[in-house]
Amino acid sequence: MIIPLLKGLATTLKMAFSKPITLQYPEEKREVSQRWRGHPELTINDDGGRRCVACTLCMVVCPSNAIKAIVADEAEDHGKYPVAFTIDLQRCIFCGFCQEACPKGAIKLNRLYELAQYDKKLLILDIEGATQSKSQLRLGDWL
Amino acid sequence: MVNLTIDGRAIQAKPGSTILEVAKENGIFIPFLCYHPALKPIGSCRICVVDVKPGPPRPIPACATTVTEGMEVVTDTPRLAALRQELMKLVLINHALECPICDKGGECELQNMTHALGVSTVDLEAVKLPPNPDYVSQMVERHPDRCVTCGRCVRVCRDRVGAMAINFTLRGYFTELASGAQPLDCEFCGSCIDICPVGALINKQFKYRARAWDMVKTEIACPFCGGGCTYQVHTKDGKILRVVNEDSVLLCGRGRFGWPVVEADDRLKTPLIKENGNFREASWDEALDLVAAKLTETVEAGGAKAVYGVGSPRATNEANYVFQKFFREGLATNQLDNPGRYNYARAIKAMAEVFGTPKLEGLEIGSALVPPYHSPLVVKEAATGSGFPFVLGKLADLPKADLVLVVGTDVTPESPPLGWGLMEAKDNPNFRLVMANSRKTKFDRYAHLSVRYKPGSERVLIAGLIKFFLADNPDWVPAIKAAGLDEFKDSIKITPKEITTKTGVEEATLKELAALLAQAKAPAIVFGSEVMSQDKGQQTALALADLFLLVGQPDAPGSALYPVAEKNNSRGVSEVGVLPDMGPGYMPVEGTDAGPTLEEMLDLLEHDDAAAPKALYLLGGDLLRSLPHRSRTKKLLKKVPFIVVQDAFLTDTAKLADVVLPVAVHAEQEGTFISSTGQLGLINQALPTNGVRPDWQIISQLGTKMGFALKSVSPKAIFKELAKKMPLWAGLAPKLSAPCPEIKAMVSGKFVPFEVDISLPGRRPYTLIIGKSLQHSGSFTTHHPGGTLAVTGEAFLKINPEDAQSLELAPGEVVKVISSYGEIAAPVKLTADVPAGVVFLPEHFAAPAANNLTLNSNLVRVTIQKG
Repeated sequence: MIIPLLKGLATTLKMAFSKPITLQYPEEKREVSQRWRGHPELTINDDGGRRCVACTLCMVVCPSNAIKAIVADEAEDHGKYPVAFTIDLQRCIFCGFCQEACPKGAIKLNRLYELAQYDKKLLILDIEGATQSKSQLRLGDWL
Repeated sequence: MVNLTIDGRAIQAKPGSTILEVAKENGIFIPFLCYHPALKPIGSCRICVVDVKPGPPRPIPACATTVTEGMEVVTDTPRLAALRQELMKLVLINHALECPICDKGGECELQNMTHALGVSTVDLEAVKLPPNPDYVSQMVERHPDRCVTCGRCVRVCRDRVGAMAINFTLRGYFTELASGAQPLDCEFCGSCIDICPVGALINKQFKYRARAWDMVKTEIACPFCGGGCTYQVHTKDGKILRVVNEDSVLLCGRGRFGWPVVEADDRLKTPLIKENGNFREASWDEALDLVAAKLTETVEAGGAKAVYGVGSPRATNEANYVFQKFFREGLATNQLDNPGRYNYARAIKAMAEVFGTPKLEGLEIGSALVPPYHSPLVVKEAATGSGFPFVLGKLADLPKADLVLVVGTDVTPESPPLGWGLMEAKDNPNFRLVMANSRKTKFDRYAHLSVRYKPGSERVLIAGLIKFFLADNPDWVPAIKAAGLDEFKDSIKITPKEITTKTGVEEATLKELAALLAQAKAPAIVFGSEVMSQDKGQQTALALADLFLLVGQPDAPGSALYPVAEKNNSRGVSEVGVLPDMGPGYMPVEGTDAGPTLEEMLDLLEHDDAAAPKALYLLGGDLLRSLPHRSRTKKLLKKVPFIVVQDAFLTDTAKLADVVLPVAVHAEQEGTFISSTGQLGLINQALPTNGVRPDWQIISQLGTKMGFALKSVSPKAIFKELAKKMPLWAGLAPKLSAPCPEIKAMVSGKFVPFEVDISLPGRRPYTLIIGKSLQHSGSFTTHHPGGTLAVTGEAFLKINPEDAQSLELAPGEVVKVISSYGEIAAPVKLTADVPAGVVFLPEHFAAPAANNLTLNSNLVRVTIQKG
């Protein structure tokens, strides 16, 4: 009867001196897998422009209607680009279908996971909010 | 019928049909790319190849092979699949991979075919070609790098539209879609856009606005001309994005690109009431109460006849029917007419004189429930009918005519579908086209005989024609039972010399035409508003009706009269009884006196007659803009104490009104139109009304406020009530034409002598013809941001280069055009299409307003002075 107790104490003792497997979250952040499915965002080219051509395939394929209101316009070089693009993270189920459907590699799931908000509106991203370069700054108001 | 087997299935097919057609009818899939049902097959893409026994040992194209008795067709073998895949790869070698941004993506036949044939990779290589896109042309954008050289656009443009604006350059792999120049020099009908299987030709209005699968499709009848086309409006979020004719692809420019009129900046949104000379916005209730009170007041003071109504050739049959009911049942008067009085109604009167008003027998109200917009009247087996509607042609029959005499109309601008009909008729090698007009028009290029007469001399021309015809065929017996030929013969006293001097047409030309008419087995006569709008238009229509009575073969399909109704419902407004002397179905009014016509009503106003109306109710119809002699019309309308106008825009006439009620147009309403050729077109509502109301509803609500029980609750119910009173519409349903072909036509007529006096008053040197231009329909298409306004944004005075030289005019120079009744300024366009001494001006624009110059006709003598 005493033996299991001692085994337990031994384990505790061993762990007390090894590297902890928990993180001091939120001060410390977990490094997630490269294939982590965070929320979708619009990727950019080297020149900072969005790759999206507003083909709306992501909107079509999205099973939870998280992507909506894609409005296209004609650029000066007669190309097509989006002027409005809404990703509703309240609805997003992080399935990654949009990324798979995109013919231009213009929408990708990033590796962010801290998505809880007090204000729901912050989870509805407009085109600027959904664009990659600014995504790092987006969640500064977290807690 | 021909018996054959396709993939082992025994099939019966119509002789003369192709393997592809038969397979499609029987639901057997044969892939194709260059074939289109609207075009003659050319068998160029070879993707539709099939194995045929008995036949050559190699596969043959299904689209260009007609079926024969005992034929065994195999549509799918490993060899055929391999061939098709290989052909597809050749098409795809350097096809621009722009599907994500290409407007055709999602409805692209190349995409679909690539999937169907299972082509996943293209292992062929070829030199890259420059893309050479055309961004500068109006309406159409061209991307030759997406072209699959199927030639559909080239063929539809050449064989169906007759514009020949696009073609191929170079050969083989380097073949490229080109027009010889940028920008395109074409009619801008856009038919090439919708026939293109890929995105090589795209609609600039639609570019990037939606993907093919995003839109809701609603079928409506085109609300522009009287052609009666139906098309699908594609809407998204309550806005039209494009219109497409999915049946035959063909639409004209204003049909395809004219819809932005719905979104025009100057659309009225709320009722307007005039106070102290200025309009103020009002609520519907306030405006309708005011109108009801004013009309009641007028009726109490001056009797029911003090109110006069003008119906609308733009409004639906239902609205016009309720309108005439408002007058006939509500006010118990016949004080109403429609603006067609100045053109189409003249033809009706003339034809009714010669062929009689419609009389139908053997119809009964069916017991079964009928679907909405179907006539409840059933045609019994022994049904017969007589009267002029039975000599009016149907659109589908026009290509069956073997001689078409076109008098006084520029076919394509007035009625594009008739133009397509003529193009189709041209496929018949025995077909003869005779174009009689004062100026050169598009179809002169296809005419076997062009008759160029002096403006306004049509009646002399026809008198001469009848004279020569009867001289060459003294024993001629008209195919139609006709009375009074001998007296009629004697009534034509004009001498051959007079004919030549008055018309400017050689005797030999007329004799040739007479010979053509005598030989024809199915002659048709097309005449348009350039004839009907003249002051003696009714006499000219009478002459043409007489001519048809003489030569017509009503038993031969296609042999008919084709008067061109100017607007979408010019024919319908008369048929449902917005006439002072005839009720619905051209039934003469009984019990009450016929009211004055629109012309007579204006005369009453001019003479300050006691019978002149004290209140006018105008259902649309910008009278100032459309009636001749604008200053007189304005003066007379100002005399009317109270005017109500129902219109979508604050037109010049509406500005004179006391109350303006904004109405729904285009796809904002529901209802029906009757086309120029008798086809019932149905509009389904596709757009929200945004505060405006459909015409029928306004009249009905006004009726309720005035205590009339019009019992009009919905367009469907109104149609049901209306159709019961219309024997002429028995058996009618959307897309069918009245009168029903099941009714046996017992046409007979009597020759009515017509006037040959053709003097055009005045001594001024030039004769001005006021007519239609291709991209516009009345003034409806001239509101910004109108679609076709981009193509034809202003009116040019067309003048012969010789005249321009003698006046020392440069192209584009603004000149003063002066008649005895007014003066306008217009830029000139030099063209040999108008003969020397004749000038032409389109009627559509607010400035220059051509009807400032006219008296009572679309012809007027003018002087032209340098700006």
